[in-house]
Amino acid sequence: MLEVQGIVKQFGGLTAVNDFSLSLDRGDIVGLIGPNGAGKTTAFNVIAGFYRPNAGRVHFGGRDITGLRPDQICKLGLARTFQVVRPFGALSVLENVMIGAYARTNDKATAKAKAEEALEALGMTDLAERAARDLPIAGRKRLEIARALATEPQLLLLDETMAGLRSAETDEVIEMVRKLSQRGIAILLVEHVMKVVMSLAQRIVVLHHGEKIAEGQPSEIVRDRQVIDAYLGEVESDAAR
Amino acid sequence: MSAVKKSASSLAPTAGPLGRLWHAIWADWDLMQLAISVLLVVAIGFAPLVIRSPYYLGILILAVLYAYVGISWNIVAGFAGQLLIAHIIFIALGAYTTVVLYTRFDVMPWIGIPASGVVAAGLGLVIALITLRYGLKADYFALFTIALMVALKTLFLKWEFVGAAVGMGLRLNEPSWEKMIFSTKEPYLYIGLALLLAGILVQFWIYRSKLGKYFLALREDEAAAAALGVNTSLYKTLALLIGSAMGGIGGGYYMMYVTFVEPPQVFDLGLNVELVLAAPIIGGLGSLLGPVLGALINKPLAELIRGTLTAGRSGTTLIVYGAFLVISILFMPRGITGLIQDGYQRLKRRRAPERDEEVRRGNA
Ligand SMILES: Nc1ncnc2c1ncn2[C@@H]1O[C@H](COP(=O)(O)OP(=O)(O)OP(=O)(O)O)[C@@H](O)[C@H]1O
Ligand SMILES: [Mg+2]
Repeated sequence: MLEVQGIVKQFGGLTAVNDFSLSLDRGDIVGLIGPNGAGKTTAFNVIAGFYRPNAGRVHFGGRDITGLRPDQICKLGLARTFQVVRPFGALSVLENVMIGAYARTNDKATAKAKAEEALEALGMTDLAERAARDLPIAGRKRLEIARALATEPQLLLLDETMAGLRSAETDEVIEMVRKLSQRGIAILLVEHVMKVVMSLAQRIVVLHHGEKIAEGQPSEIVRDRQVIDAYLGEVESDAAR
Repeated sequence: MSAVKKSASSLAPTAGPLGRLWHAIWADWDLMQLAISVLLVVAIGFAPLVIRSPYYLGILILAVLYAYVGISWNIVAGFAGQLLIAHIIFIALGAYTTVVLYTRFDVMPWIGIPASGVVAAGLGLVIALITLRYGLKADYFALFTIALMVALKTLFLKWEFVGAAVGMGLRLNEPSWEKMIFSTKEPYLYIGLALLLAGILVQFWIYRSKLGKYFLALREDEAAAAALGVNTSLYKTLALLIGSAMGGIGGGYYMMYVTFVEPPQVFDLGLNVELVLAAPIIGGLGSLLGPVLGALINKPLAELIRGTLTAGRSGTTLIVYGAFLVISILFMPRGITGLIQDGYQRLKRRRAPERDEEVRRGNA
């Protein structure tokens, strides 16, 4: 479904993503991990059309989407959330999600019903009438997912949507992501919380300095020497703090 | 308060159609704003019964025009967040189009004014294309529109066909509806009110539809909008097209009322502030009621300052007027409508919350 082939993204002299490849199928849940600054968000931005890669191609649903605009890619069924949340602050939570739903319809009633469905899935029904700017950070993270979901994606890119959530909230979102994948939606997930990645992902890809240093099942990844040196050691010391 | 209490008790299943209408409006702030706007239009419609002085009627006519033009700018700047500062260029172009068609080609204003909308939208499209082609960001876009105003002023000052520095006026012969020329003020007022009512309805329709929600998304966060499938270039262009077309129509009407136009008068930042920016800013930029309320305060106030405080010395007028604008921006960032909305929400909260819930569900 998603076929990323050797993408390179440079900012001036800095190569943020270097020759990165990845493939995903329907219903897959793939975790993308790596230390801060590894290039995870940049890779998302290239895939979702926010950055044009210096080299490489991105195929989605059998189509070459390299160079398409973000809104075109969204319409093709690829939605992403933002690591640094970007709510439409002055609008209500419901209106925020309706804007996602409008990607598939021009009709207000239909968009509203779709948006309510998405809010329901995220357990946000009670918050629908609140202004998005009044939500606490956990609410904003969920709003990111709800909006993306309302665009009816086949592939969802989640960029640290569980950072800053309490443990119970994290469990709810994990459950929700699992349900989505059972519906056939593929999920690419960036997450520093190892518990989340380990319990959700069937496959993990590790980025380091913009390059893929490992890929495999969670049980293989945790034993990978290179990964432990580059990343997992750091996570453990983070946890020890 | 008493009105509110009464309506709360009339929510019984037996509530009449009027009661139900009132509830539908009360439950929905957008509808409240629409209702107040329409009531204001109706009230102004009755004003000639008490206001007989042509001078005061003239102020009222311009207030109505300011409200309409304010709406056209509100859609671009308030909804879509595009810093189209020199919106006056569309009013100017509309005024010139109407007078050129009228005097040079004998085209009646009933056709000339809509044509002015089309011509102004043409300029709007050109601006949108240039802006997108060169990826102008908000502040550069604002500067670009001001620079364009200066350039157009120079062009019109030199252009013989449109009267160059002398300007252009209507040949004022017999008053007639056909030529939209009247010897009394009332007909101008009613044509202006019809225009304003149309503007109010268009603005409301846009605000409630997908188009309007996409405009708001653009204003709030362009990248997030793009990620959710909003073609940001297309919707910026649409906002500009709508605003410029409405502005051009307003300019055509302005021409018929003032009957004379010259470049320094219309390609002018001072007039731009008074005619375009002030009403939505004072009234509440981005709100539905703002342009209408703001214009009804702004125009009489500007006139008062011009007439009494500074006795015609234009420099002082601008200072006093500018100070008022600055103060209202600092102390009422959401304008008068913001204050009213706060009061409305406080009132609403005092009523039984479950009732409110019922009403909202019932109307959803
Ligand atoms: N727009 C940009 N301009 C210049 N440099 C950038 C830009 N975006 C990212 N970078 C740089 O590219 C590198 C990769 O950043 P990126 O945000 O992709 O990392 P990340 O893996 O998402 O990190 P984190 O875990 O902290 O979110 C970093 O060195 C970063 O400073
Ligand atoms: Mg990141």
